[in-house]
Amino acid sequence: MSSTQGTAPTTATAGFDGPGEDQLLPQLVAHLREHRARLRHEWSDRIQQAGLLHAMTPQEMAAETTSVYDNYVEVLETGSVEALQRYARDLSERIIPRGVETHEVVGIVLLLRDVLARSLFEKYQRDFGLLNRVLDAYEPAANRIANTVAVSFVEERERVIRQQQDALRELSTPVLPVRERLLILPIIGVLDRERARQLTEQLLTGIRTHRARVVVVDITGVPEVDESVANHLVQTVDASRLMGASVIITGLSPKIAQTLVTIGVDLSKMDTIGDLQGGLEEAERLLGYRTARDDGTAVP
Amino acid sequence: MTGPRLVSILRQGSYLIASIHTALDDTEMTAFQHDLVERIGRDRARGVVIDVAALDVLDSFASWTLRTIGEVARLRGAVTVVVGIQPEVAFAMVALGMDTGSVRTALDLEEGLAFLDRVVGPRRPATATRGGPA
Amino acid sequence: MPRVEAAEWVGGPPVRDSDAVAALIPMVRRIVAARVADVTAAEDLVQETLARVLAASGRVEPGMLEPYAIATARNVVATAWREQDRQRRNQHRVVDLTAPDLPEGGLLAEEERSAVAAALARLSERDRQALIAHEVSGRDTRSLAAELGSTAGAVAAQLHRARARLRVEYLLARDRTEPPTDRCRPVLFALSSGDRRRQREVDAGRHLLECDVCAALGQPLLERAPQRDDEVRIPIGGDADVVAARQAARELAGRLDCFSPTDLTLLATAVSEVTRNIVKFAGSGEVVVEVLDEPRRGVQVTARDAGPGIPDVERALQDGYSTYAGLGLGLPGARRLMDEFAIASEVGRGTTVTMTRWCGDR
Repeated sequence: MSSTQGTAPTTATAGFDGPGEDQLLPQLVAHLREHRARLRHEWSDRIQQAGLLHAMTPQEMAAETTSVYDNYVEVLETGSVEALQRYARDLSERIIPRGVETHEVVGIVLLLRDVLARSLFEKYQRDFGLLNRVLDAYEPAANRIANTVAVSFVEERERVIRQQQDALRELSTPVLPVRERLLILPIIGVLDRERARQLTEQLLTGIRTHRARVVVVDITGVPEVDESVANHLVQTVDASRLMGASVIITGLSPKIAQTLVTIGVDLSKMDTIGDLQGGLEEAERLLGYRTARDDGTAVP
Repeated sequence: MTGPRLVSILRQGSYLIASIHTALDDTEMTAFQHDLVERIGRDRARGVVIDVAALDVLDSFASWTLRTIGEVARLRGAVTVVVGIQPEVAFAMVALGMDTGSVRTALDLEEGLAFLDRVVGPRRPATATRGGPA
Repeated sequence: MPRVEAAEWVGGPPVRDSDAVAALIPMVRRIVAARVADVTAAEDLVQETLARVLAASGRVEPGMLEPYAIATARNVVATAWREQDRQRRNQHRVVDLTAPDLPEGGLLAEEERSAVAAALARLSERDRQALIAHEVSGRDTRSLAAELGSTAGAVAAQLHRARARLRVEYLLARDRTEPPTDRCRPVLFALSSGDRRRQREVDAGRHLLECDVCAALGQPLLERAPQRDDEVRIPIGGDADVVAARQAARELAGRLDCFSPTDLTLLATAVSEVTRNIVKFAGSGEVVVEVLDEPRRGVQVTARDAGPGIPDVERALQDGYSTYAGLGLGLPGARRLMDEFAIASEVGRGTTVTMTRWCGDR
């Protein structure tokens, strides 16, 4: 913060007549507290106009903007960003999973800086000298706040990404039970031998756990496979069959199909369907069809 | 066979339920094959469930024996379904290059029986009360 | 020690005493068995305890026989332990010719001595001098080293080799056998010295399958080697051994904590296939499963037989090569299940399959 930081007084007496430099920030803080409701509202409107934070509901937005506002004023008052930093990390942790982007977070803080600066402008516009001194005191503090929030957000985001990557590595092949007896295995990213192995183990164990009769393996997200991985894929299909589950492959790109044919995989023996939606429909048909046939064959 | 029972073959309606309780060597596996095929003929079974859930390995000989049982059973008019192949065992079989050929597989005994009901009709065909289009 | 059975005591010392001592047998057995695992050794100690109690029974106050027996049993066991301990500490000094079935009687002792003498005579002059100086004259390695201008470590190594040779020559002399092939002595020496690398270099496992003489002579040498918990050897002679071999492999590999259930099953299945090949084509052989640390951690399986051998190994490794009942999956299948797979076969001599599965990065 600026050089005024260390001199922030403990009492925030509002003296409008020729305040000393050390009185400027307390005065400012008192002003922001006094007009809290109006300024906060103004800020919220600006956020909405700018189309930021659309991932949040109005209620959430109101709650968070109030907290940010209060933290903001507190930093101006105490000169300490610790509380703000903690809050910013906490906020980031909550909103990152909602898909809030860095530019949005930086954007709303800059908007708040702007809104507050305008209100100061209005308040002090008749005393240009005082206005200048107030803004001199305010701006460095406001910039520091913006910086703190942005850095906290980015750090938190990186931490979350790292965590997600770790989790992704562990669960690189999530087996999703979508409905009774039906599993989906969406494979995303490059398949190497080790991942392919994990995939198979998880799928086969998943079949037993969920007592699956049909499995849809979606490989839309797989850019390419080499021969050993393609073989592995075929083995996975065969092993699933040995456990009594039918496998439908969806999202087979022409390139991968070519690889499979090249290594001698008989594609006619594999149930392949263009996209995941079609695959799911086929799966439901298989499950439903069987039920229908149960009844149909009930009479000898 | 003497000692603790390695296998059991139980009759349930027109089905036979054969369970392998422990790892069998080739001689025992072959004896099991003969016993089961003989029972299929004697009991005029229409469906056979072979439960291999207790096996931690199904190597080429065991896989081949299961196929043979299935094919011989078919010639004798019975449908065979192998149930309970464990995930690791299934993968090892495929990696080895084995499968159960024309013999169907199902997850467990319950699924196996449901499969037989679908393809050969219900276990107690006498009760023909269940209606449906012929 | 004379065997003492309860029934024999009647008519020896006073009947009263022998009856009382006989009543102690179950208790003494329990005490000794709780401390000594080896059944034969335990029984010897029980007998020794009873003999002592019986000898002292006249001096022991009535009613005190039981506590006396307990104390005696403990003492006897403790003495046996001390004895064993001393033996172990001095083992490097002993020529270690005491085969478990050490022959008794004067004549046999004489043969024994002559076998040792013959064995000594077959050593090189240098080895013999060193052994005699160390074992008989009691010279320590340091003073021997000083005399020879060598180091104590080098002398100890030389003594180790000399003893290993002496054991081999002793066994040959005792059985009045000449090794039938040139390979026998190196193999027996490798076994005797317990040098595993050397054993691999001379392919000792294969030789023991091929050579009956060495198989018999090698037995006491193999038994002498300390039990290893990272290796298991399964003799193969029939169907049931196929199951035993794959279970042993799974068990050993499972202890490493680096294999998934799938890995273990793949390994067990591969072992099943190669072991079945031994039974089918050679009738008998052996499977050795061992933990590897170099170049990586893993499990290595060696399946060897002295059967007819495979005329065309390349073809046997192709899918569909029919070996029995329309199945040719044994070798190519096992190869697919393992990370490394090598096969060496010679018609008329037999086949060795060596295969490895490495630990995953888990």
